[in-house]
Amino acid sequence: MIQNYFKIAWRNLIRNKGYSVINIGGLAVGMAVAIIIGLWIYGEISFNKSFKNHDRIAQVMQHHTINDIRETWKALPPIMGKGLEENFGDYFEYIVQSSWNSNYSLRFDDKVFVRRGNFFQPNVIEMLNLNLLTGSNNGLKDLNSIMLSESVSEEIFGEKNPMGKILIFDNNINLKVAGIYKDVPENSAFKSLNIILPWSLFLALNPEIESKTNPWNDGSYIQTYVKLAKNVGFEDVSKKIKDIRYNKGNKLVKSYKPEIFLHPMSKWYLYDDFKNGINIGGRIDKIRWFGFIGMFILALACINFINLNTARSEKRAKEVGIRKAIGSNRRQLIAQFFVESILISFIAFATASIMVVLTLPYFNNLVESRISMLSDSPLFWITCIVGSLIIGLMAGFYPALYLSSFRAVNAIKGTFKGRQTESIPRQVLVISQFTISIVLIIGAMIVSLQINYATNRPVGYSKNGLISISTTKETHNNIDAIRSNLIGSRTIIDMAEASEVITEEWNGYGGWSWEGMNSNLLPDFKFGNVNYDYGKTIGWKIKEGRDFSRNFTSGSTQFILNESAVEYMNLKNPIGKTIKSGNDKAVIVGIVEDLIIESPYEKVKPTIFHLSKGQGSVFLLRLNPTKSIKESLSKVEQVFKNYNPLLPFNAYFVDDEFEKKFRNEKLLGKLVNLFAIIAILISCLGLFGLASFAAEQRTKEIGIRKVVGASIFKLWILLSKEFVGLVVLSIIIASPIAYYLMSNWLNDYTYRTDLSFSVFLISGLGALFITLLTVSYQSIKTASANPIKSLKTE
Amino acid sequence: MILQLKDLFKWVNSGGQRIFLLNDIDFTVNEGEFISIMGPSGSGKTTLLNVIGMLDNFNEGEYTFLEESVHTLKEKHRAKLYKEYIGFVFQSYHLIDELTVYENIETPLLYKNYKSSERKAMVADMLDRFNIVGKKELFPSQLSGGQQQLVGIARALVSNPKLILADEPTGNLNSTQSEEIMELFKTLNRQGVTIIQVTHSESNAAYGSRTLHLKDGVIVNTH
Repeated sequence: MIQNYFKIAWRNLIRNKGYSVINIGGLAVGMAVAIIIGLWIYGEISFNKSFKNHDRIAQVMQHHTINDIRETWKALPPIMGKGLEENFGDYFEYIVQSSWNSNYSLRFDDKVFVRRGNFFQPNVIEMLNLNLLTGSNNGLKDLNSIMLSESVSEEIFGEKNPMGKILIFDNNINLKVAGIYKDVPENSAFKSLNIILPWSLFLALNPEIESKTNPWNDGSYIQTYVKLAKNVGFEDVSKKIKDIRYNKGNKLVKSYKPEIFLHPMSKWYLYDDFKNGINIGGRIDKIRWFGFIGMFILALACINFINLNTARSEKRAKEVGIRKAIGSNRRQLIAQFFVESILISFIAFATASIMVVLTLPYFNNLVESRISMLSDSPLFWITCIVGSLIIGLMAGFYPALYLSSFRAVNAIKGTFKGRQTESIPRQVLVISQFTISIVLIIGAMIVSLQINYATNRPVGYSKNGLISISTTKETHNNIDAIRSNLIGSRTIIDMAEASEVITEEWNGYGGWSWEGMNSNLLPDFKFGNVNYDYGKTIGWKIKEGRDFSRNFTSGSTQFILNESAVEYMNLKNPIGKTIKSGNDKAVIVGIVEDLIIESPYEKVKPTIFHLSKGQGSVFLLRLNPTKSIKESLSKVEQVFKNYNPLLPFNAYFVDDEFEKKFRNEKLLGKLVNLFAIIAILISCLGLFGLASFAAEQRTKEIGIRKVVGASIFKLWILLSKEFVGLVVLSIIIASPIAYYLMSNWLNDYTYRTDLSFSVFLISGLGALFITLLTVSYQSIKTASANPIKSLKTE
Repeated sequence: MILQLKDLFKWVNSGGQRIFLLNDIDFTVNEGEFISIMGPSGSGKTTLLNVIGMLDNFNEGEYTFLEESVHTLKEKHRAKLYKEYIGFVFQSYHLIDELTVYENIETPLLYKNYKSSERKAMVADMLDRFNIVGKKELFPSQLSGGQQQLVGIARALVSNPKLILADEPTGNLNSTQSEEIMELFKTLNRQGVTIIQVTHSESNAAYGSRTLHLKDGVIVNTH
């Protein structure tokens, strides 16, 4: 029997080729989108799962309250490890402290390698279950030791045995290779842990840590990880350790109300966003969103299937009637239609798999992901096959019930005509399709408007031809020689040095005071050291006072503030005013226009630029625009190599770095665009199919109308009217939904575009235009056919 | 006796008026009969045939088919009954376009859950009997009207029904083809199959043993 069903289903597909292509093609595109989104979600949720103890590991973090804003961060004072050990040791199997992941230089023979890594306490190997290829878990106990990942070891030593070899760290400390571990998986929080440096070395390099009289008042600059002991939970332990810092700190510490808690590893990646001290999600939101979009697009494709099938009902009615008359019962007919829809679903799945394989490289390239097909995972295939089965059943459900319900007599007599109400479910489905598509179109437009809006926001300095290069002791000491050499050769226009990178988050400092300061305020400024040439080099704009200048030497410390700082401090005539921090005093010499350093979507934070000659972290160089970039860069490299011949030379273009701030939004924009296009494509495919059936059904009516004198234009309107009406209804439903969703999305941005009416208008008109284009082909074809032919078929 | 209709009414309500499609039908069919139903268009011939075939319902009266009272049976039972004992032949053949001749004839057997080997034998027998073995792989659209109707009759007969209901079986055929089909019916009837046909043509009706005249849903005379 089932064989017979398959045979019929297959012959039906072959016989109605156009219909089959629309049906299978639409479903396949929907499935391909769902598979790609599914693969992406799988990658995201398996993040950090490669660690054996991932459900027992947590990072110790802190909430604190400054000026009524509750913030959350990972940085803790170095004493935290010992404090937890002494007071709550029973709850933890391991407590491991670490520095921030950062670049370190290692020299072997005369080659220098710069690799990322952390200083870690020795237990890190056991806590993370790192797979040691050689060496022992205790390797990091020695101050002069280092462990390398397998790939770094191969890069440095090649085939040679690395164990016991000496690497020169930071150009002056000898470290002996004490172990090699297998690379940490890419999709994990420790993917950049290419080298591990011993904690004892960190303490030796930062002797002040151990000499603090009350270490609980120390600043926060290290990270602490723990693995829980058996039989305790994150929540319980979090409650226990909550006040450890508050209780031990001095008045200043207490004023920030620090609350210590554990953030489990399983939440690091997906739930990384805290607002007002509450974990409000993070990437998981994006996953949910795209999960929804994937399901919606799949639903669109299923709707096509349902609509095309029920629209064809008059064609299939005869078959149903005959089958009933010669002995089929309803159950057998339902089974037959299910077999048909499942067959279509599987053909669509096969097509979708090919589509996924072919398009994945482009998709990965577009969204900078590394999704792969997982074709050797049985789970993947089982999921897909079960999924196709479910889709086949779901999409086939309504058509099967509907088609099998025809009464044999009517069907056979040929008196079967779709009921008047029969097209209502179909219309509802078309409306839901277009509603989803239009919401996506509006969403895509608003995302790109927002990106445009933020991109066009004035940054307060000039990014063109500005490059940044890390400083070293040698280059810092010779900055004057380097600068005059490069300016003299007309390679650059100017060069400056600063403690902070102009496109990255700056350090914050509190503890300031000034005349007329609100005594309740706990002042919090972004703070950076810059030298004399900073302003000229980056091209900032002085609003009041003057720039730093060698012509104005004075004994006192000089500050330039940004406009936000002046507003924050509520200063009337800021120039010449002094700001105090403990016994230090500084005078404000100038005010600059706000520079966008951190997020282009947020208010600029109050910032202090401090004139300093100390070693910063970066040089900023303004290339000479009349020379070729390549030429200038090689000249700059040549000059820098004079001072650090062994170090690799790296220069970053400020505009490229700035561009990275838009990465997330641009990615979102690209994805939403892509999905909006696919959604409207699938919907139109379905509409095209429906329009064809409608035109076919009305052939006789059109013929009669033509004979009695209707023009092609009138007939075109007649045939298109219904569909246009449905789309207009969809626009009306979609607009408020899109408005609600997108204003929610925009709410996350302080600096945001308006939701203008024109976006909705353009999206609506666009959808209408596409609809007309889709249905007009069929309408005009039918309307211009010779009526003699259509009437003769009766 | 194979079936009996007693005081049977069927009506529709249209604009507050009751329009009778079948009006007080009393009618008995014995095994081995060949009955023709005649009457002008709209007289209720096809409706009567459909009621007898249990494809259509009626509003009032009694219908006994092989000792079972059809009017008290549930839909499911009724379907079982007609599947078992009745074969249909239609004016426009009503073959399934997507199936070959062989498969069309085989379909009723599939619905009755015959084994594959039994089906093969039964279909082969039919193809043989109607002399269409050579056409078994063809699709309906590749056959002439007469050939299609032969397949239709073969399909109706394949599961050995007691009763054949034929609704203007020759309505779409030319006179030669018509004659062939009617001869076939006659032969079948002689072999013991009870037949009820609806027809417009006197000459076709003459093949039957008894003719029923219908007008406006009423049996006006029998001869």
